Amino acid sequence: MASTVIGAGITIDGEITTDEDVVVEGTIRGKLTAKDSVSIEAGAVVEADVIGGPLTVAGTVTGNITSSDRVDLQGGAKVIGNVKATRITIADGAQFKGNVDMDV
Amino acid sequence: MANDVAILGRSTHVRGRVTGAASVEIAGRVDGEVDVSGDVTVEAGGLVSANVTGRRLVIRGAIKGDLNGSESIALEDGAKVVGDVRAPRIAIAQGALLRGYVQTANGGSAPRAKATTASRGAVPPPRASTPKHVEHKREVEKPKAAAPAHKAKAPPPPVVPALKKGAKGARRVGAIAGMSKKR
Repeated sequence: MASTVIGAGITIDGEITTDEDVVVEGTIRGKLTAKDSVSIEAGAVVEADVIGGPLTVAGTVTGNITSSDRVDLQGGAKVIGNVKATRITIADGAQFKGNVDMDV
Repeated sequence: MANDVAILGRSTHVRGRVTGAASVEIAGRVDGEVDVSGDVTVEAGGLVSANVTGRRLVIRGAIKGDLNGSESIALEDGAKVVGDVRAPRIAIAQGALLRGYVQTANGGSAPRAKATTASRGAVPPPRASTPKHVEHKREVEKPKAAAPAHKAKAPPPPVVPALKKGAKGARRVGAIAGMSKKR
């Protein structure tokens, strides 16, 4: 289990920095910086730039996503912003508007 | 409610407000207000440098700000709080450090809180003049001891002049009653 969980019903306005896994089920406005994996669950709303390791998105993200590893946009995900990562997957049913940068 | 929990781990640092209708467990650091309608737990090693508002607060870490609990506040061993503490019921355990003003329920509406907290309900006014001298939990006990003493001294004078000869017995009875009230 991840050691940092932003549960449903919680709103954080500001900047979050962590070395741990992060699971987001609530709302974040500002910036999220993690060194490890970040999981943005269905129902989560992230209006922030997200920087992290392996990133999974099933919720809504408005902001730029930067990953040192891979980014998986799952079905039901809604992303508006640029995505920068070494590998990116976009599942059927994911909504995405923005640039993709894969260091080609 | 069980699922609506935010857990901020040890290395997690939040700069900003944490709000919502859920509970929060803080083991990391929060530089900003925490205002939730659920419970708030600040673990040992956790640090919050702003006001914390919630239903039931359990503090084992450090807080630099006011604590407001709609139901209760428990400062446990290892807690370090610099700020005011307000809740209907407040528990301060041995080993907790507190510097600030303490206020339990207004008008003594605390529902049979531990005897200590209930009796403190009436105390705040005299303490208002010296809120900054509060060092830590020990001083909480001073008003407890002082308050009954005042009450015991106050009633006798009006009684004595009224009954002169038969007063001896009455006085003794009164004195004894006063004594037993003290305890």
